[in-house]
Amino acid sequence: MKSIKEIFGGDLRQYTMVIVLIALIVGFHIASGGRMLTPSNFQNLLSGNAYVLILAIGMMMVIVIGHIDLSVGSVAGFCGMVVAICARDLGLPWWGAALVGLLLGVAVGAWHGFWLAKVGIPGFITTLAGMMIFRGGVIWISNSISIPAPDELRFFGSGSLPEWGPDTGLNNSTLLLGIIAIAAVAWLQLNGWNKAKRTGSQTPLWTVITRVVLLCAVIGYAAYLYGSGLVGTSFPVPGLILVVLVIVYHIVTERTAYGRHIYAVGGNKAAAALSGVNVPKTYFLTMVNMSFLAALAGVMFVGRATSAGPSDGVNWELDAIAAVFIGGAAVSGGIGTVVATMVGGLVMAVLNSGLMLLGVGSDKTQVIKGLVLLAAVAFDVYNKRQGKKSIIGHLFGNRESGKPESPDAASSSAVPGAKELPTQ
Amino acid sequence: MKLTKKAVVIAAAISLGLSLAACSGTRGETPPQSASNEATAATGGFEAGSTIGVSLPWLGTQNWKEAETQFATALTEAGYKPIVQAADNKVPQQQSQIEAMIESGAKVLVVAPIDGKQLGTVLEKAKDAGIKIIGYDRLLENTTAVDAVTQYGSIETGRVQGEALLAGLAERKGAGPYNIELFGGGPADPNAPNFFTGAMEVLQPKIDDGTLVVVSGQVEFTQVATAEWDNATAQKRMESLLAGNYQDKKIDGVLTPNDGIARAILTACEDAGQDIPVVDGLDAEDESVVSIWEGKQYATVAKPTPELIAQTMVLIQALQSGAELPPPTSTANNGKIDVPLYELTPVVITKANAKQAFADDPAKLELLK
Repeated sequence: MKSIKEIFGGDLRQYTMVIVLIALIVGFHIASGGRMLTPSNFQNLLSGNAYVLILAIGMMMVIVIGHIDLSVGSVAGFCGMVVAICARDLGLPWWGAALVGLLLGVAVGAWHGFWLAKVGIPGFITTLAGMMIFRGGVIWISNSISIPAPDELRFFGSGSLPEWGPDTGLNNSTLLLGIIAIAAVAWLQLNGWNKAKRTGSQTPLWTVITRVVLLCAVIGYAAYLYGSGLVGTSFPVPGLILVVLVIVYHIVTERTAYGRHIYAVGGNKAAAALSGVNVPKTYFLTMVNMSFLAALAGVMFVGRATSAGPSDGVNWELDAIAAVFIGGAAVSGGIGTVVATMVGGLVMAVLNSGLMLLGVGSDKTQVIKGLVLLAAVAFDVYNKRQGKKSIIGHLFGNRESGKPESPDAASSSAVPGAKELPTQ
Repeated sequence: MKLTKKAVVIAAAISLGLSLAACSGTRGETPPQSASNEATAATGGFEAGSTIGVSLPWLGTQNWKEAETQFATALTEAGYKPIVQAADNKVPQQQSQIEAMIESGAKVLVVAPIDGKQLGTVLEKAKDAGIKIIGYDRLLENTTAVDAVTQYGSIETGRVQGEALLAGLAERKGAGPYNIELFGGGPADPNAPNFFTGAMEVLQPKIDDGTLVVVSGQVEFTQVATAEWDNATAQKRMESLLAGNYQDKKIDGVLTPNDGIARAILTACEDAGQDIPVVDGLDAEDESVVSIWEGKQYATVAKPTPELIAQTMVLIQALQSGAELPPPTSTANNGKIDVPLYELTPVVITKANAKQAFADDPAKLELLK
């Protein structure tokens, strides 16, 4: 049993949501008579949710610094509308319009960052104002009428990678991506193992190889699933954008000074400031980044929808926030990872997709999603407070101590909403 | 040694990926399912008892709730497998629902869009899978993937609303000139501007000759539109119009695009201490039927759901048997192609003809007591 832990590395608790996700996929696959694990459904799943998952990356970072951004839906809608208007009325080429939209996102982020970091207005209030300002802005500039977007943007919102090369029975672009991913995973794992060995780690090689084989099996299956759809379809472009962002932000949050700063500021602002972290700068950059990602999500959505509408983005912030918390972030800040957030977002996306395949109405779907959010966070909180292991931990007899977070930090997340605004 | 180990693992991993890839082989030029779709569609129809998807915008007004249940019943009775879903007025939700219907092997999609311009990608996906697409109640715009649209003529509906308002003013408020205000529906709904255009065709001549006076001067659709058809938004706009323009005036009538907005406006006028103005409406919602019977709301324009569903069923049956669609009543350009329209004429209901209009509808008759 200890070996299972060694294969996965670290604490098994973080895999709870992964197992929930797999169980959901398999369960829905059986319940829907085999319609869940199909190439087209998984292509839809990624193209249809990429925008929420992209927002969730930024939202995770905002929540880690101990704030929240309520404006992302409005900002996404506003930037998407600006792109459509620039292309239609100003005659900008599609890339010019998209660039204007993304730069606008950065500008909006700087606006939020200014009020949060320089003036010291809590993020909740700054972005509540932003939510109103930019929702009103969308309606104002569009006269509440949908505006068609440049056709080229569809490639980014729902496009497929090209077909080329010999007939392998799969989409070759997807196949290539899969091979690159497998090679990268194998190289990274072995490299890591080598480094660890040099510093005196005792992990045997076979655990690393088992892990590599398992991961590669998953990637290989995904490549097969995405590549074997209709000719002309592939791993969707919005999904690829998402994967690139996940890798970039995983590295940013885990490996850079800025990444360490956001966790430090979120964990204990005063201590971080005393140890030389520039707190306002960290706040500012995080807000700029959030609105930039919101703009990107808005542009991609407009591409998929083929036009920008006045109600684009309504409630997207809530979907993103739900993904972050299902991914195990703490309301009090300081805790949360990009990968866990993606798993949280995918749990919601799979639930949505599976319930739709079963023909469950949106009313009941909402109820179920609400309950899942509550259950996921309650389960997390319960575990942390009790200092007990998760169900998975029990199953595998994991007897070692839990995560490094103190029980205090964990239990403060037991009262969602109570500490949304960190003391200034 | 170190290097060779690494190389072995990488090679193993890659070969695993490749072997998984190689065991595909199911990937044809088109998937078997939709290939047969297209083949049969070309030679005529599809299997009886196939799945039919119905995507509705939401269930927040009575007509959509009625459409939901009646579509399920009508399709089941005709031997089809219905999937009827409503999207909570969220465009991404509707997009995903339509994709799920494609996944479920639907042969026909009946789509009542939240925003007629925002479904392009998913509808084209459906078209590529050989699925026939019927727009229901609203035009599907900015896409080539639409085969027919069934709806109540929206310009005609607006005209009828305008005429009802004039008739009501003459009946209840004596001789003119009359002070009126104008309201429009949700701008994202392609019908809303048409309703307004139709109504203004009737009202504009009367405004020009001074019979009608729009006291606020707000006569452009963008000024009078009610975002999302939201009743509360309309009520707030009416309250501010009354406060700003009617301190020393009486309001005689309001052009109202639907029943919910009509009731919101009656409430706003009552709260402001005005006499009840003449309002029309749309959809013959139960609450408004009661209000008409009590003599408050003057009229509503009914677009009976059963008739529209019957019309849609005729088209579905024709598509199933592979026959030509019946000749459309007209066509409309949706920005990409000319779409065949199958339009029905709406019915005005006032207190005078309510009993007769609802003679076949026991649930509505129950309200007239």
